[in-house]
Amino acid sequence: MTAIETKGISKTFKGDLRAKRVNALEGLEFEIAQGEVFGFLGPNGAGKSTAIKILLNLIYPDRGNACILGSDVKDKEVRRFVGYLPENPYFYDYLTAEELLWFGGRTSGLNKSAIAERTEMLLTRMNLTTARKRSLRTYSKGMVQRAGLAMALIHDPQVVILDEPMSGLDPIGRKMVGDLILELKSRGKTVFFSSHILTDIERFCDRAGIIVSGKLRCIDTLDNLLSGGNTLEKVFLHEVEKAGGREEL
Amino acid sequence: MTVLWPIAVITIKEGIRNRAIYGISLFALLLLGLNLLIANMAAHDVGKVAVDMALSTISFSGLLVVLFVGINLMAKDLDKKTIYMVLSKPISRSEYIIGKFFGIVLILFSTIAFISIFACACLFVLKAGYATYFPQFSWSLVFLGIFFILITLILLSALSFLFSSFSSTSFITLVLTILSYLIGQSLSDIKALIETSRITGAAVSPITIQVVNVAYYLFPNLSFFDIKTQVAHGVSIPVPTILWTVLYGFVYTSLAITAASLIFRKKEFS
Repeated sequence: MTAIETKGISKTFKGDLRAKRVNALEGLEFEIAQGEVFGFLGPNGAGKSTAIKILLNLIYPDRGNACILGSDVKDKEVRRFVGYLPENPYFYDYLTAEELLWFGGRTSGLNKSAIAERTEMLLTRMNLTTARKRSLRTYSKGMVQRAGLAMALIHDPQVVILDEPMSGLDPIGRKMVGDLILELKSRGKTVFFSSHILTDIERFCDRAGIIVSGKLRCIDTLDNLLSGGNTLEKVFLHEVEKAGGREEL
Repeated sequence: MTVLWPIAVITIKEGIRNRAIYGISLFALLLLGLNLLIANMAAHDVGKVAVDMALSTISFSGLLVVLFVGINLMAKDLDKKTIYMVLSKPISRSEYIIGKFFGIVLILFSTIAFISIFACACLFVLKAGYATYFPQFSWSLVFLGIFFILITLILLSALSFLFSSFSSTSFITLVLTILSYLIGQSLSDIKALIETSRITGAAVSPITIQVVNVAYYLFPNLSFFDIKTQVAHGVSIPVPTILWTVLYGFVYTSLAITAASLIFRKKEFS
């Protein structure tokens, strides 16, 4: 079964009163198979986060539709099988990591023992055990990011969507997230992550899509993208240049 | 609907741990302490002043909780994008609104209960010291007054939810909520003033009459819930009036939350 599917998604945003409408996405169409690690690559403002927010039903497309595991993303029950880490996550200041995970577990339908078990495992995995009872406002940026990852994974979702997961992490944190993505892959989970860090895409992805100015310019396996001695950087710059979006870099 | 409780729980935890609520409670306790000092200066009206001031303290402190804790709890979710994390779980927009509202109602209930304990203790002390100046005093009326204050605050919170569902900043929500409170408190008086002017033949612009009529049916008439004067004078309130007032508060609150949910369903979090 296809894990994630988008069909002809277009989205425009209204600017200020005098500003014209901005095309955030134009005819976005792709399929991601179950168990695949897919990298969504694009310069800043290319439409990566907009596409992700549509997958999470946080914003609505003007045209087209998106499905996760065969169900329309408008159905809230789909999100029982989806874990999401927003870009620069911000959580409740006065909650602790434990309470945050309790919330994530309860709203995802886990019972008390499953929440306790998953919380223990994830806090250990994210190296947050000693800070588990501290309020989240005392966390560093990297710690918040790790708490966010634990929150995304608390219900052991089939599909994991990560928006710029490496953003703001130190090398140790980046390695931890990288290892986590590989571990999820080995467990047959689907990982969709956006990034503009080319090496991350090269290291972890089976396939990648390059989006520039709201349009998906190319989508292929890493092997094909890097064939003939190409580097991902070359491919990426070529696609951006083709789209006339060099200034966005 | 099983997600309502976790949403309410995190709302309560976030609200109760916020220092603003402690500041407001401390302020209320200081006002009640002042009540002990001021009331005995009121000669024969000690009872009336004490009751009026105790209920006003509860009402004003509750209003501060609605404006500076309740609105902030909702606004922070939107401003800081915490809502992404919440709505990425299997939670509908309506469930989010109802769960959050339920949490704020519980915060209001516990804060009002806490302040009311001290307000009642203050009245008890004054009544014991000046028993002859409390001839019409009734505890049941005091509790009814507190209950009506709670309904007013819940209704106002529901309105703040409605405003935050379409306004772009928490400041606009704050201003609209304060305006609704002020309009709601003075609606009856303004309507009565206009009707008196018409009876006495004083010239009132037809536009003014229309505006007041629209406002009368659009905004909640909060003066229904303000029974401080009756409580201070020990004037009993008929049971049907109590029931109609409670029903009015319930219907208005439900309509505001339903409207907030409907608008929130269309909202985009970009």
